[in-house]
Amino acid sequence: MTASLRRYATLLGFAAILVGFSVALPGTFPTARNLLNITQQVSMLAVVAFAMTAVMAMGDFDLSVGAMASLAGVVAASLFAAGWSIPAGIAAALAVGLAGGVVNGVLVAYLGILPFVATLGTLTIFSGSSFLVSGGRTIFGGAIPAGFGAFARGGVEIVGLRIPNLTLVALAVLLVLWVLLEHTSYGRRLYAIGGNAEAARLAGIRVRPLRASAFAITGLGAAMAGLMYASRVASANPTQGDGLMLDAIAAVFLGMTMSEESEPRIFGTLVGVLILATLNNGLTQLAVDSYVRQILVGAIILAAVASSRLGLSRG
Amino acid sequence: MTSHRWTGWTLAAALAAGASAATAQERVTVITPYLAQPGTQFYLDGFRAEAEARGWQVNVVDTAGDIAAVVSRLEDAATQGVDAIVINVDPAQVEAGLIEAQAAGIPVIGMDAGAHPLLATNVTSNGYAMAAETAAYVVNRLNGSGRVVMFVFDPFPPVQQRGVIADAIFANHPDIEVIDRVTPDVQDGGIADSRARMEAILAANPEPGSIDAVWAAWDQPALGALQAIEDAGRADEGIVITGIDANPQAREAIAAGGPFEASVAQDFEGIGRAVADATARLLAGEDLREKVIFVPARLVTQANAAE
Repeated sequence: MTASLRRYATLLGFAAILVGFSVALPGTFPTARNLLNITQQVSMLAVVAFAMTAVMAMGDFDLSVGAMASLAGVVAASLFAAGWSIPAGIAAALAVGLAGGVVNGVLVAYLGILPFVATLGTLTIFSGSSFLVSGGRTIFGGAIPAGFGAFARGGVEIVGLRIPNLTLVALAVLLVLWVLLEHTSYGRRLYAIGGNAEAARLAGIRVRPLRASAFAITGLGAAMAGLMYASRVASANPTQGDGLMLDAIAAVFLGMTMSEESEPRIFGTLVGVLILATLNNGLTQLAVDSYVRQILVGAIILAAVASSRLGLSRG
Repeated sequence: MTSHRWTGWTLAAALAAGASAATAQERVTVITPYLAQPGTQFYLDGFRAEAEARGWQVNVVDTAGDIAAVVSRLEDAATQGVDAIVINVDPAQVEAGLIEAQAAGIPVIGMDAGAHPLLATNVTSNGYAMAAETAAYVVNRLNGSGRVVMFVFDPFPPVQQRGVIADAIFANHPDIEVIDRVTPDVQDGGIADSRARMEAILAANPEPGSIDAVWAAWDQPALGALQAIEDAGRADEGIVITGIDANPQAREAIAAGGPFEASVAQDFEGIGRAVADATARLLAGEDLREKVIFVPARLVTQANAAE
C-alpha cells in the first residue's frame, strides 16, 4: 500500500497541478489548444530528457547534452548559410551529435573516466566549438532556410486537432526509446548495468560497448533537440541549448520517483518533463513573477523527490 | 500522503497569489531574455513608472537568455489573453510566438527590439540622428575645414546607417577632407585593431596638424584611436575624436578632457516610457501608423559625461 502510494505520489501531484490550474484558469488552461501548446513548448526538453534516460538507466549521466544541443544548432545553421540543403545540414548536425556521444562513451566506458568529469570536459569542448563555428554570433535571418523555421511552426491535422510538428517528433523519440529501453534485451542490459555493473559483467554482459552506445544515443538525442530548438527560434546561437541540461536531469529525477526501484523509466521521464512544462505555462498565465516561478519549480521538484525518499525510509 | 499535501499547499499558495492579482485592470506582459543586463533595467524603470501611473498590471517575464522560452511565454500570454505584450528580443527569432499573439488579437510592442511586420511598433533610438550629432559636432569643431579619419563598419546594418549619414555631412562641406575610411576587424571587440590601424595612419601623416579629427561609428574604434594618438605623443595636437553609444569607458575618456570629446547616449529610460505611451495608444484602440518610434539620443561631452 505504502509502496504504491509512493509510486503514484508524483502522478497524483501532477494531477493536482492540472486540476489546480484548471480551476484557477478555467477559460484558458484546460483547453486543447493550450495543452497542445505545452507539449510543443516542452518537446525539446523532452527529447533531451528521454535521451538522458538511456545513460541514467546505467546509473551514469551526461552533463554535455545542453552544449551539444547548442553545437548541433550552430553546425546546421552554419552549413545552411554555406548553401547546404536542409536535409544535408540536419544530417551533418546529427552526425556531430552521434560522434560527440561516442566520444563521451569512449571516455567513460573505455578510459574509465567518471561520467561527471568526462562529460564536464566535453561540455566545455562542445561549447567552445559552438563559439568557434559561429564566431560567437547568432546565425539568423536569410542564412536560415524558410522551410527550416516553418517546420517548428507547422503541424499535422489529426481528428480536427492541429498537432504541432515538434510534439510529433518528441512522441516519435519517446516511442523509439520506450521500445529500445523497455522491450529489448539491449534495454534490459542497460538496466542490469545500472543495478550492478560488476554483477552484469560477471553475468556475461559486455558492459563497455553497451555503456558507450548509450552515450551515443544521448548525444544523438541532444543534437536532435538542438535542431528542434534552432527551428523553433529560426536561428542558432552558441549558448541557446545550454539550459536544457539541468532541466533534463531534473525531469529524469522527477520521473524516477514513480518507479518502484527508483529507476529512470521513459514514461516517468515523460511525466517529469510535463510537470516542469505545465508549471511554467500555468504560472506564467497566472502572472506569477518569473523569479518566484523559478523558486516554486525548484521547491516542487524537491518536494516530489523528498516524498519518495521519506516513503522509502518508512517502508 | 503528507507529501501530496505539501505539494498541494505550495501550488495552492501560488494559485491564490496569482488569482488575487487578476482583477479587471489592463494586463501587460513584458517578456525579455535579458533582464539581468543593466540596459534592460533602465528600459524597465522607465516603462514601470509610466505603467504604474496608468494603473496597469505589469508582469515581467525573464527567460534568462533562453530565446525558445520567449516563444513559449509569448504563446502563454496569448492564451492567457493579456491586453498587450512588450518584447525586448530580436523579433525575427520569436516569430512563432508573434504569430500566436496576432492570432489572439494581442498587440506586441518592441522595446528596442528591431522592426518586424508582426510588431505593432518598435521603440528605439534613431541611428541616423545619432551619427548626425557627432558628424556635425566634428564639422563645427573644425570650423568646416580639416582632414578627417572615419571608422565605420558597413557589414552590420545598424552601424552602416551611421556611416552613411557621416559621409553625407562631411561631403556637404567642401573643405572637409576624409583622408581614410577604415573598417576595423571587430573580432577582438574593436579597440585593439582600431588602435593598430590608427597607428599606421599616424605614421603615414607625421606632420602635426595633418589629421584634425577621428569620427568613429561607435565607441570602441574611438577608444583605440585615442590610445594610438596618446601613445604617439600627439595628444596635444588638437585632434578631435568622437564616438557613438557613450559606453562607460568612453564617458570616462570624455570626462578626462582629452582628445576624445563627444559621443551620443541613447535614452534607455525614455525608450521605456515611450513604449508605455505606445502601449496606451494601442490599448485605447488606436492603430499606430509609425512602425518605428524614435526616442531622441543625447550628445555627451565633457560638460555632461559624468551624469
